[in-house]
Amino acid sequence: MTHSEELIKELGEKADVVRKNIISIFEGSGAGHVGGTMSVVEIVTALYFHHMKLDPENYDWPERDRLILSKAHSCEAIYAILAEIGWIPKEKLSTYYRFGSPLQGHADRWCTPGIEYSGGSLGQGLSFAAGLCLAEKLKTKKTPPSEFAKKYMTKYITKYNPTYRVYCILGDGECHEGQVWEAAMFATKYRLDNLIAIVDYNKYCIDGPTTEILPIEPFVDKWKAFGWWVTEIDGHNIRQLVDVLDLTNNLYGDGRPKCIIAHTVKGHGISKWEESHSHHSRGDEVAEGLEEGRIKYG
Amino acid sequence: MVKFNKYVDIGEPVATAAGIAKGVAQAAEKHDNMLALLEDLGYPGIAWFLKNAPDRIVECGIAEANAASVAAALAAEGFIPFIYGFAFATIGRAYNQIRQSILPDRFNVKIMARQGAWSALGISHNYVEGIAATRVMPNLVIVNPGDIIEAEKSVMAITDYIGPVFLNLEAGFGSPPPLKIFTEDYPFELGKAYTIKSGEEATIIATGYMVTEAIRVSELLDKENIDVRVINMSTIKPIDEDAIIKAAEETGAIITAENHSIIGGLGESVAAVLAENIPTPMVIVGVEDEFSQSGIITKEMDELKVHFKLGAEDLAAAVKKCIAKKKKLGATP
Repeated sequence: MTHSEELIKELGEKADVVRKNIISIFEGSGAGHVGGTMSVVEIVTALYFHHMKLDPENYDWPERDRLILSKAHSCEAIYAILAEIGWIPKEKLSTYYRFGSPLQGHADRWCTPGIEYSGGSLGQGLSFAAGLCLAEKLKTKKTPPSEFAKKYMTKYITKYNPTYRVYCILGDGECHEGQVWEAAMFATKYRLDNLIAIVDYNKYCIDGPTTEILPIEPFVDKWKAFGWWVTEIDGHNIRQLVDVLDLTNNLYGDGRPKCIIAHTVKGHGISKWEESHSHHSRGDEVAEGLEEGRIKYG
Repeated sequence: MVKFNKYVDIGEPVATAAGIAKGVAQAAEKHDNMLALLEDLGYPGIAWFLKNAPDRIVECGIAEANAASVAAALAAEGFIPFIYGFAFATIGRAYNQIRQSILPDRFNVKIMARQGAWSALGISHNYVEGIAATRVMPNLVIVNPGDIIEAEKSVMAITDYIGPVFLNLEAGFGSPPPLKIFTEDYPFELGKAYTIKSGEEATIIATGYMVTEAIRVSELLDKENIDVRVINMSTIKPIDEDAIIKAAEETGAIITAENHSIIGGLGESVAAVLAENIPTPMVIVGVEDEFSQSGIITKEMDELKVHFKLGAEDLAAAVKKCIAKKKKLGATP
């Protein structure tokens, strides 16, 4: 499939708007998880404004695609999107970190329309996403074919579209958590082919490079060994993002969960934050970054 | 001869497992969205699922953290997942998953977990911290049934209740079976204590297996003309404050008994209610601040019961100690 230049350009502009909203959020709070929020912007833009099936009038539409932000500290990026869709009022963007705000410090399902999962304790989102996918299989009673069936009973296999798909955004450092790999096994066992994990591989944890903190490589091989369909892309390249996401539309029925490893840059879009690989920013660092952001994204 | 209240008909000792299995089957029959989540430890009532609804079995393997988060998501989509395992793993290992994935959103997950000071399985499995660990977490109801009948009825009650519940089960594998206490028509009510035996001099508030020891001690003390009240506190959270305050008002001495650490369990729950409402002489009986180990039960003796001082004789001594405190303080009546 080829996506038009117009679409790519339009989504690029949307990503800039999302960054603008993120800047507004940080301006209100004076601090935030700047690195992992900026690195995930193109991913969530491609998901929300192009790929995912949503009803802007009803965030609770039962057939909507679900986004599970397992790295819930990057919720600023989702808030920026939800404000754009209209599920949270734009004037609330300045209330991040405040009591009673829909913009909680970490994503909270109770406080924010459109947030599917209350996160913050890392490593649990993929299990939650797998549970949602299993629920879809149980409700529709359509279990994808087993390896045996695919090999020997091909003529009985019919492709189908799931009622909903579940996208789970993980951090690279988050994959240190053992539970991620428990979930990876579980998803393979139950052939959850409507589960798409997207790893925001921005290469940095809080204390330093992921490769030094606790190496996760060979990362692609790990997912493959767990039985997943895996691909690698540039997580800031919108064309690559929409191509690979739309490609997964043709893969349902294959019985395999899918993992998109998106190579990204921590703090992407703000040179000051890119240089420092900063996870959490406050004080001068955030002020300088915000100044650059205001000029760049309006 | 001790006279017990309505719905009490003391029988022989019998493990609660069969009651749980029966309750699970009944609840699964009534609620077709109830799912069995296994952690490679078998499952009470699995025969019903295998026969009637094998597609409602979700085997999660030895991955309790994943199971808890998966259960949360299944509940988010309208199912009622029942997790079953040993408390040290189902609660202990998945503690953070219960706190993060299940409780903030009040997902309708039921956790059936086995624990207690007694079993042959040693320090790992003889978990005495589960109630303390869960009591502190908001949004969670904690139930600890006292006999086979209450076990069966509590499963249906927690299924009908919408919200997360921890159902505490006995450890098994060498834990002593409780007496059959209740009649078939016993009306179990979530959040309500039940007075098994009336009495005026002191009240034993017991939970789980220790209700059995409380009944035995009431019989022992009856011979000495000491008239104790016995309350079965099967819902530990939210605790039945009215029953506790009433017992303190009417008997003036409270003894709690639990097969759990004395830190953070039933005793401290009751103590908090008394301290704030009606300060009353009290003795807390349970596992002192120590880990358990293996122990076996023979006809002659129960090694761990002796070690932890949780037998009827120990409880009788605690009752007398509490009555002495009451007299010393000149508390009324």
